[in-house]
Amino acid sequence: MSTPLPSAPDNNVAATRHPPLPKPHRQRWLLWLVGAQLLFVLAVAAAGYATGRFGSVVVLRTRPVDPRALRFNDYLELHYTISLLPGHLWKGSTLPRRKDPVYVVLQPRPGAFEAVAVYPERPDVEPGQTVLRGWVADTWRRSMRLRYGLERYYVPEETRRKLRRQQPLQVQVSVAPWGQARISQVEVLPAERAMP
Amino acid sequence: MSRKLLETDGLEWVQKGIVTEAQRAQLLALYPEERPAIGLLPLLGSLLILLSALSLVAANWQSLPEAVRLGLLLGSLAGTYAGAEYFLRRQYESLGMGLVGLGLLLFGISIILTSQMYQLIGYDLTGLVAWAVAGVALTWVYRSRFLFILTVAIGGIVQGYNTGQLGAFSYLTAVLTAGGLGYYWWRRPDSLLGAVLATGLLWQTALLVSHLHIKITWFFVPGMLIYTLGDWQEQRPAGRALQGPPLVAAFLFTLGLALFGESDDYTGELRPPLLAYVGVLGAVLALSLWGKQRRGRLGSATDWLLLLPGFYLPGGLPLAVATLVVLYAYSGAVLWRAHQERNQDRVTLGTVLFILTTAVAYFKLTWGFMDKSLFFLLGGSLLLGLSWFLRRRAAHTFSAPETPGQP
Repeated sequence: MSTPLPSAPDNNVAATRHPPLPKPHRQRWLLWLVGAQLLFVLAVAAAGYATGRFGSVVVLRTRPVDPRALRFNDYLELHYTISLLPGHLWKGSTLPRRKDPVYVVLQPRPGAFEAVAVYPERPDVEPGQTVLRGWVADTWRRSMRLRYGLERYYVPEETRRKLRRQQPLQVQVSVAPWGQARISQVEVLPAERAMP
Repeated sequence: MSRKLLETDGLEWVQKGIVTEAQRAQLLALYPEERPAIGLLPLLGSLLILLSALSLVAANWQSLPEAVRLGLLLGSLAGTYAGAEYFLRRQYESLGMGLVGLGLLLFGISIILTSQMYQLIGYDLTGLVAWAVAGVALTWVYRSRFLFILTVAIGGIVQGYNTGQLGAFSYLTAVLTAGGLGYYWWRRPDSLLGAVLATGLLWQTALLVSHLHIKITWFFVPGMLIYTLGDWQEQRPAGRALQGPPLVAAFLFTLGLALFGESDDYTGELRPPLLAYVGVLGAVLALSLWGKQRRGRLGSATDWLLLLPGFYLPGGLPLAVATLVVLYAYSGAVLWRAHQERNQDRVTLGTVLFILTTAVAYFKLTWGFMDKSLFFLLGGSLLLGLSWFLRRRAAHTFSAPETPGQP
């Protein structure tokens, strides 16, 4: 049995004063910290810029978006045509589960890219095809819903003015060689050209 | 003690011969005079000008070129920290720390706005984790309670955003807040910070449990680990403060079990695999008891009564009654220890718990078959009688002369 350790008396906690770091120390640490924060913000910007500059471009279509949502938010929730995919595209040996990462192979077609296969691991693809990373959001018997992290679009003023009614969008997504993807350009399609 | 009190009353103490003039001067030297606060009017004036600049930028944000937006963010971030250091060096402690806090908030805002600018939001969690890291680091550099609390809040917000909006839980944020701030609290025990930290960590635990879709009772494993940390803490009040939020959660849970435990549907939702749950919780219990024994506080082991896994029993009235017995045992133990320790605050706490338990027990056992007016009449009389008795008991304890040898 070990002996009880001494307990500090109850009433002198508030009186325990802890000296701050010595000033030169503190200033040096602060300099590092502020520098790191500035660099981090710059790195976020650089990653965004580089993805747009060096990434391969994929054109996607969305289901019609409702401009009324912009009354409450400054972004739109996008549902892509490749968000809901038929189950036969799945190439894994076991069934996909919620939150699993997946790799979607996209093939250019007139107007927009289409998903041709979904893999659990990053596959090798033919020239012209692109791989987009996503996550399984839901699965049903014959289909699955995927999330790409591209579902939220902060709408610039210019696009906002063009959106009058429920219209589909054509979204250019840049996919960087290291896998990061971001929306680089968005066009509002006329309502009558909506996907069937 | 504040310098103000020393300045006003100190002379009187010298006159009464309680302290000498030299001692008064020594005491005064312990509390160096703070620089007078910056005048209110200049402060308000600068605030208004800042607000006007802010609204101008916010209104035109979308139309500004990307480089200008980035420059504005980086400039205000660096400027705020520089301003903070400027004021801290001139001993304007509150203003300086306020600006450091503002800088930390600006860092988060910069990450979010830059991500939005490049439509990067929703892709990964690194950006928001960096925010929590910066908070922890600044807390350590400035040893500031204000930054500590701000960082706990940031950790909670980041985690809430991750699980709610991005559908992911950032284990890194959880480990960083628990480790970085937990160690800070361990080295510099403090009651307020203990309670705030425990609340923040419990919030993240709750988010994790709901994110993983596991039985909610798993919540109590990390929750009681936080409690156990309080057992090992040398400073008793700080340890107690850290243990408060987990105990509140456990008490409310047990109260819920007493109210709804009758339905097997509810208890069915609470049952994790028996061996795994009892094994893990038992390990935490052992760790907690070891800590209590080492610090000589084994008396508080009754807290663990609330963690008895009664929900494994088949649901029904017997379970509700058994849970009520546990609640009575717990609140009774709190009251008894409070009287032993002659601790007024804890007597009040024990009284409240005891009355709360009685109210639930009464409601549970009589609502179904008693006439409603009789129900309220008897319930009211029971509570009034109980509170009168407990008050009398407390008055008796505190009026009795302190016997030597009592803690």
